[in-house]
Amino acid sequence: MKILIIEDEKDLREVMTRSLEKERFIVETAVDYPTALQKINDYDYDCILLDIMLPGGNGLSILEELKKLKKRESVIIVSAKDSIEDKVTGLDLGADDYLAKPFHLAELHARVKSVIRRHQTDGNTEIEIENLILHPDDHTVFINGEELKLNRKEFDLLYYFVTNPNRLINKTTLAEAVWGDNIDQADSLDFIYSQVKNLRKKMKNAEAIPEIKAVYGFGYKLITTPEA
Amino acid sequence: MKLIHHTISKLSIVMIVILTFWAGFFFFSILDEILDETDDSLENYKHLIIQQVLRDTAAIHNNSDLMSQYFIKEISETQAIHYEERYFDSTRFYEIEYEFDPVRVLKTAFQGQDKKFYELTIMISTLEQGDMIIAILWSIVILYVTLLICILVVSEFVFRKSLSPLYKLLDWLNNFTLGGKNSPLKNPTKIKEFQKLNDTILKMTRRNEEMYSQQKQFIENASHELQTPLAICQNKLELLAERPDCTEGQLEELEDIHRNIGRIVKLNKSLLLLSRIENGQFHEIKEITLNPIIKELTEDFQEIYEHKKLHIEIKEDAICNVRMNESLANILITNLLKNAMIHTPNEGNIIVHIQSSGVTFANSTEGDSLDQSRLFTRFYQADNKKKESTGLGLAIVQSIINLYHFQISYFFDGKHHFDLRF
Repeated sequence: MKILIIEDEKDLREVMTRSLEKERFIVETAVDYPTALQKINDYDYDCILLDIMLPGGNGLSILEELKKLKKRESVIIVSAKDSIEDKVTGLDLGADDYLAKPFHLAELHARVKSVIRRHQTDGNTEIEIENLILHPDDHTVFINGEELKLNRKEFDLLYYFVTNPNRLINKTTLAEAVWGDNIDQADSLDFIYSQVKNLRKKMKNAEAIPEIKAVYGFGYKLITTPEA
Repeated sequence: MKLIHHTISKLSIVMIVILTFWAGFFFFSILDEILDETDDSLENYKHLIIQQVLRDTAAIHNNSDLMSQYFIKEISETQAIHYEERYFDSTRFYEIEYEFDPVRVLKTAFQGQDKKFYELTIMISTLEQGDMIIAILWSIVILYVTLLICILVVSEFVFRKSLSPLYKLLDWLNNFTLGGKNSPLKNPTKIKEFQKLNDTILKMTRRNEEMYSQQKQFIENASHELQTPLAICQNKLELLAERPDCTEGQLEELEDIHRNIGRIVKLNKSLLLLSRIENGQFHEIKEITLNPIIKELTEDFQEIYEHKKLHIEIKEDAICNVRMNESLANILITNLLKNAMIHTPNEGNIIVHIQSSGVTFANSTEGDSLDQSRLFTRFYQADNKKKESTGLGLAIVQSIINLYHFQISYFFDGKHHFDLRF
């Protein structure tokens, strides 16, 4: 899976690259508009992460360029502006998703995987980790072929874990994923703690091989293979 | 009190004082003048009588008519030598009128042709002071009232005419809202002071408008500029935490930093949202039914309610339709619901009451009434500062409400009530 990151901020570009490479993506980068244009002309990518405020041109015209080239890459707009107009124009121009800066790396992984999954033509949208199968579209989870009943928040949490397997996910990141938007989040950490506890119990009872582990002080991690 | 009424009331008080003094002065000077005149005529009369008597001794008899009267009485020489001529006031009984009337009396002495001495008493009827006082008082009162009415009418007219630019300006200023749509100030006047006032106020409002929009722009730009560096910090920390050589202690420290960066991010986003609302960047408006939104959102929070063992009740009296931006409607309801939820103690209850003209959010509490005046201001947090809370939730609510001219009120009756009216 190849990903192109179009981002002019060096540090951010690097940190995104490192994190996505950990997820076993092949990552290429473009620092400005002309480089980006050249890269999308020359190569095919599975997903493009597009900063719309670029030196040398507006990122939105990259979307138009892609349309002209009749390319069907998944595009996620990454913007510091987080304005509704940009979001609407971007999505109208064919972008698949819109991610506002600042974001959590776990969120980035989840979004990238989600757009790539939706673009796969074989209709196989499920995520499979060992004996756990998660269907993102109809919100169901199966362990050893048997359905695991989860409430919506538990499902959202599990979805986050399976899109970030073996990665350390921070508590506040999970809280944001569950609460959805950016407004007041008091009391949420306590809630996350109890929800993850329930989720772990349910998975353990269903004998799932992947296991959610608490990482002291920081958050949680989904371990996909049983420890030797 | 209007300026004109203030002026007139002061004027009428001053007038009363002046007119009272003037009335007193007028009365005494008239009295004095009359006395003078009367004494003069008494003097004349005396000469006439004495001349007549000297010419004709037979004339030495008493005389009386309606206006005047005189008596002549013989006195001894010693009396005559020490006699002092004097004027004084007295009364005399008139049979015709059957009353005592005031008279002015002159008593004098003279020597007749027969070398005898005589005392002459002359009385002239004079005016009644009581009557005069009343007459003067009446005329003063009439004068006062007439003057007052004249001043009132004239000053009302003059005030209205000459101060109309001031009132126009006041009206305009009263309707002026910073950052709102204001009609241009049309207030032509020939009066220099008012022209200057117009100019100064125009300049001042323009400067305020400029500063206001600059400040709004600044907040928005600053928030934007912060996003990328914040993203870098946050993401680098997330990567750092994944390094296998991190100890538990380091992870804990990292989590603290991460959580605090998260707070900055949230604050920044909320501030950005606030300035977006205030800059009118949510212009798409449509008819929105709140009932399904409220139900969806409470369902979203269901697990959290269960976690806190909260009981939530939605009372639907009617369908509540409102014209506003859809995302703002969501933000509005979310914030009010979250606010209710955060401040309800475990096992408390929340009641959402939907009516056709508004929605009320009530939640149980262990605390007291909140400070209404500061409730909706930025960064106000009641009693205990909640970690992770930005303190901007209700400020966002307020700015959405201001945008659409809705109303929100708070009251406390053992429960916190937030009453939203459209």
